[in-house]
Amino acid sequence: MIYSWKRIVRYGLPLLTLCVLIELFAGQILQSGQNTLLKIPIYLISIPVINGVGGNIGSILGARLASGLHVGYINLDIRDKKMHENFLTSLLIGIITYTVLAIIIYYIASFSRITMGIGLIEFVFVLLAVGSLLICVVSVVSIFTAFLSFKRGKDPDDFVAPVVTTIGDTMGIIFLFLLIGVA
Amino acid sequence: MFAKELLKQSLPLLILCGLGGVVAGSTLGVMTDLLENIPGLIVIIPAIIAMRGNISTTFGSRLGSAYHLGIINSDNMWNEELKQNIIGSLVLSFLISITIGILAYIIAIVFFDINPNPLKLIFIVLIAGVVSGVILTVLTIVIIYAVFKRGYDPDNITGPALATFGDIITMLSIFGSAIIVEVIL
Repeated sequence: MIYSWKRIVRYGLPLLTLCVLIELFAGQILQSGQNTLLKIPIYLISIPVINGVGGNIGSILGARLASGLHVGYINLDIRDKKMHENFLTSLLIGIITYTVLAIIIYYIASFSRITMGIGLIEFVFVLLAVGSLLICVVSVVSIFTAFLSFKRGKDPDDFVAPVVTTIGDTMGIIFLFLLIGVA
Repeated sequence: MFAKELLKQSLPLLILCGLGGVVAGSTLGVMTDLLENIPGLIVIIPAIIAMRGNISTTFGSRLGSAYHLGIINSDNMWNEELKQNIIGSLVLSFLISITIGILAYIIAIVFFDINPNPLKLIFIVLIAGVVSGVILTVLTIVIIYAVFKRGYDPDNITGPALATFGDIITMLSIFGSAIIVEVIL
């Protein structure tokens, strides 16, 4: 038998406690920018989407790397071709997803009259810029977490998703604030 | 070709999940009264959502690896490997929920200068965490089974699907448990 619930709990507990603490910290950053965000609600409603897509793409990449490492078709090498291919596809998927969702969010927002004079092109550009930065960060974090945990004889499946989504949630908010100038 | 398969299986799902994020965010909008009545509640929401997402996606990710390793498939699902994963996820949900309740109580006092009822907070997190944990575990098994049957790569599907369903179910569980605790305590 490969899995045991005790091992899942033993590895999961400290990491998840740390992730929860960092998420509470991300909540504090959000709280600090709350007043500015309430004035431009189109960005406020974009936050779960920005973070969600970033976390999802990072988790998919991590799950794929973990399976590849377990089975052996991905090597523990920073120059591994399969790994590069997975990374570039993640970036491509990210760009398409953010563009499509930006357009959908924009039309939902203009329907509820909360665009506040922000143009479609400007909005798509901001989301795409935040999204691309975020995908790069989560992908690199995902690769390092998968490789490092596997190298140390741990199961990457236990580590990648929590690390990636937590960093994705924090960095997504920070990148958005930087780009729209919330101090 | 891995890239093409990844693009084809994940892209539509990712866009759908993005829209699910908007739904989960909107649930918060109808909770404003509860948030005002229960100090400290807003502090625990991102933490419970993060816990739920992390436990479910690691569960899904491990089942994906198990599938690739050939120790689990649609004909051989209900085995000891799956049971160990289920027990592990549920025990984690229980323990992390208690941790969140305690952390939220401390954070509310230190940063927000409010004094919430610690028992109330811990009970809300515990009920929401365990209820959403059970629902998500069942959902994971259903999704994994459907993915196996269709011959898709579970790695491309389970993460986003569970994260999105997780967010929505968790928000509803917090909403429900906050009402229950508010009535009882």
